[in-house]
Amino acid sequence: MAAIPPFDAELLRRYDRPGPRYTSYPTAPQFSGNFGPEDFARAARLSNDDPIPRRLSLYAHIPFCFSPCFYCGCNRIITRDLGRGETYLNRLVREVAMLGPLFDRDREVVQVHLGGGTPNFLGANQIGELMESLQTHFRFSDSADRDFSIELDPRFMRPGDIEALAFIGFNRASLGVQDFDPAVQKAVNRIQSVEETMAVIDACRKHGFRSVNVDLIYGLPLQTREGFGRTLDTVIQARPDRLAIYSYAHLPQLFRPQKQIEASQLPSPEEKLGLLQLAIEKLSAAGYAYIGMDHFALPEDDLAVAQAGGGLHRNFMGYTTHAECDLIGVGVSAISHVGDSFAQNPRDLPSWEAAIDAGRLPTWRGLRLEEDDVLRADLIQQLMCQGEVDVRELEDRHGIDFATYFATELGRLPPLEADGLVEQVDGRIRATSRGRLLLRIIAACFDRYLHQAQAEPTRFSKAI
Amino acid sequence: MSIAGKRPRPNPIADDGDELHFCSTCAFSDACLSQGYGKADLRDLHVLVEHVGPFHEGEHIFREGDEFNAIAAVRAGTVKTYVVDAGGHEQVLGFHLPGEIIGLNAISEARYPCNAVALDTVMLCRFSFPKMALLASRMPGLQAQLFKLLSQDIGKAALLAGDYSADERMAAFLVALSRRFAQRGFSATRLHLTMTRTDIANYLRLAPETVSRVLRRLQEDGLVKVERRELEITDPAGLEALARVVLRN
Repeated sequence: MAAIPPFDAELLRRYDRPGPRYTSYPTAPQFSGNFGPEDFARAARLSNDDPIPRRLSLYAHIPFCFSPCFYCGCNRIITRDLGRGETYLNRLVREVAMLGPLFDRDREVVQVHLGGGTPNFLGANQIGELMESLQTHFRFSDSADRDFSIELDPRFMRPGDIEALAFIGFNRASLGVQDFDPAVQKAVNRIQSVEETMAVIDACRKHGFRSVNVDLIYGLPLQTREGFGRTLDTVIQARPDRLAIYSYAHLPQLFRPQKQIEASQLPSPEEKLGLLQLAIEKLSAAGYAYIGMDHFALPEDDLAVAQAGGGLHRNFMGYTTHAECDLIGVGVSAISHVGDSFAQNPRDLPSWEAAIDAGRLPTWRGLRLEEDDVLRADLIQQLMCQGEVDVRELEDRHGIDFATYFATELGRLPPLEADGLVEQVDGRIRATSRGRLLLRIIAACFDRYLHQAQAEPTRFSKAI
Repeated sequence: MSIAGKRPRPNPIADDGDELHFCSTCAFSDACLSQGYGKADLRDLHVLVEHVGPFHEGEHIFREGDEFNAIAAVRAGTVKTYVVDAGGHEQVLGFHLPGEIIGLNAISEARYPCNAVALDTVMLCRFSFPKMALLASRMPGLQAQLFKLLSQDIGKAALLAGDYSADERMAAFLVALSRRFAQRGFSATRLHLTMTRTDIANYLRLAPETVSRVLRRLQEDGLVKVERRELEITDPAGLEALARVVLRN
């Protein structure tokens, strides 16, 4: 799985269709408003009852950003008012206090992640307060391989921040870059110098962060092979432990900030694929391993090591080394995964605030997985992380006869097999080396909800 | 609703009896037949042997103090028996697996001395009689047979007495479960634990954290493998060795 897959432009173009990224199955659109705080509390209680209850992973969402990047489709609030951060933190801490008692105290937290928005909208001391509150209500693991990470915007780092964050306990960082080309930066409203970026990477290394990730985006307005190539060279020279290369999806109807991007300035589909190919070539030459989806890592990075050992996992935070953890999300829009249930907080700030103020868990929607969901989630998890499914092992775990149970789904594979994306060999369903760039397309074959939704419109149109 | 491709969970507890014949794996048949009572005889004596259920998770089968009028064999699922002490604290008495009988400890009483609750979906075969006194007077031989089953039951609880380490108690618990499952035709090494860690802890007189700590240790030592509620005994000999001081065999 580690070697970077061959780039088949024709194939990638043919399958350049929107679809879920399977950070969860069922995907978030399947969550139901019928699932509320009591359901989440019940899931927590049940999860405590396992003979060895799962360890914990905590996610906190900080939705504020100082400045709007035009490409962004994330849940964010643009503001320069630092007071809003303080107000938000006060409620965050109250949410943590409500959650702590729901989980047995001996369940260790082995992973913490701060995402957003811009987590460093909060000052280091505020982040310290948040961590202190988490540590009061949960038990932190003191193991050396615990993973405490934070997303950072290098443009808004203050001197001493990284040192403070390291002191607080963070040992991994993810930096937004996207592209260093000045023309592209202007077009997306993210002016960020190489110097300030490198300063943050250097500080992370100096203060003992075990892994630094850089995010890049291809397909942005005014991007060129030359410009993006220079960005790649510059970034690779800094040798980040991980890189994520995201494809820009221009959907201004869905994401209003994107209306500020000139569609005419976007690279053509061929040019865009060329940018991906360039990235893949340069990363391959630089010795990076391919993890899956858009993620690359140095072979000695924990992520690559986990993948080689079969311990790679995928959750809402993307690929992660800590499989078998229950995930607790705090803050606006945050998603939890506890036992066989998903729960999500409201996406709008006022609703989240109102729930906290009323002393209620802010659970907005969620889902309790049925047996079929658990089975498909297991299968998709294996595909997305290992690039293959061991059919017999799946049969044993879930008590099914694969060929009968998934007869319909197997019927969706032949076109993908003919296109060279996937093969069935040795009792495994395996992505081919070129198919590893299109894992989510293979996974989609087994997505029950995707095909239910696709079946329905036909029925309606026939009725007319 | 059956789903195409879903393998039915193998259940060695048979369901092949009828009005005149006990099921081939019936828990009561030996006791009854040894005293000369066939199914028809029982019916004539107003003793009912009938399949009842499902009892859903959390549903009580009987409560302490209820009038005693039946014993029951578990056909599917797990039943937990417990009492509540003066301070209102639950004390787990035991777990009853498919093929095992509940209510036996009431056999010399007029009322159930404990509570019985379903830990998951439970199916029972209920062996009921109109009056306890009837059993004593009309079928003394049968009552004696049932007393015998009860004393075997008490033997199961022996592992709680005595000054054993947490590891030894846990090993004994798992080995005992494994033997009981195997006796009924289930896997001896792949155990599905329907009881919560709080229940296991209560039963073994340990703290819940200790239960997990011990299991993690046993896992690290390669004796077991635990995933959610599935426990696989990966080193049966090793686990038996640890349990020997408690089980004495």
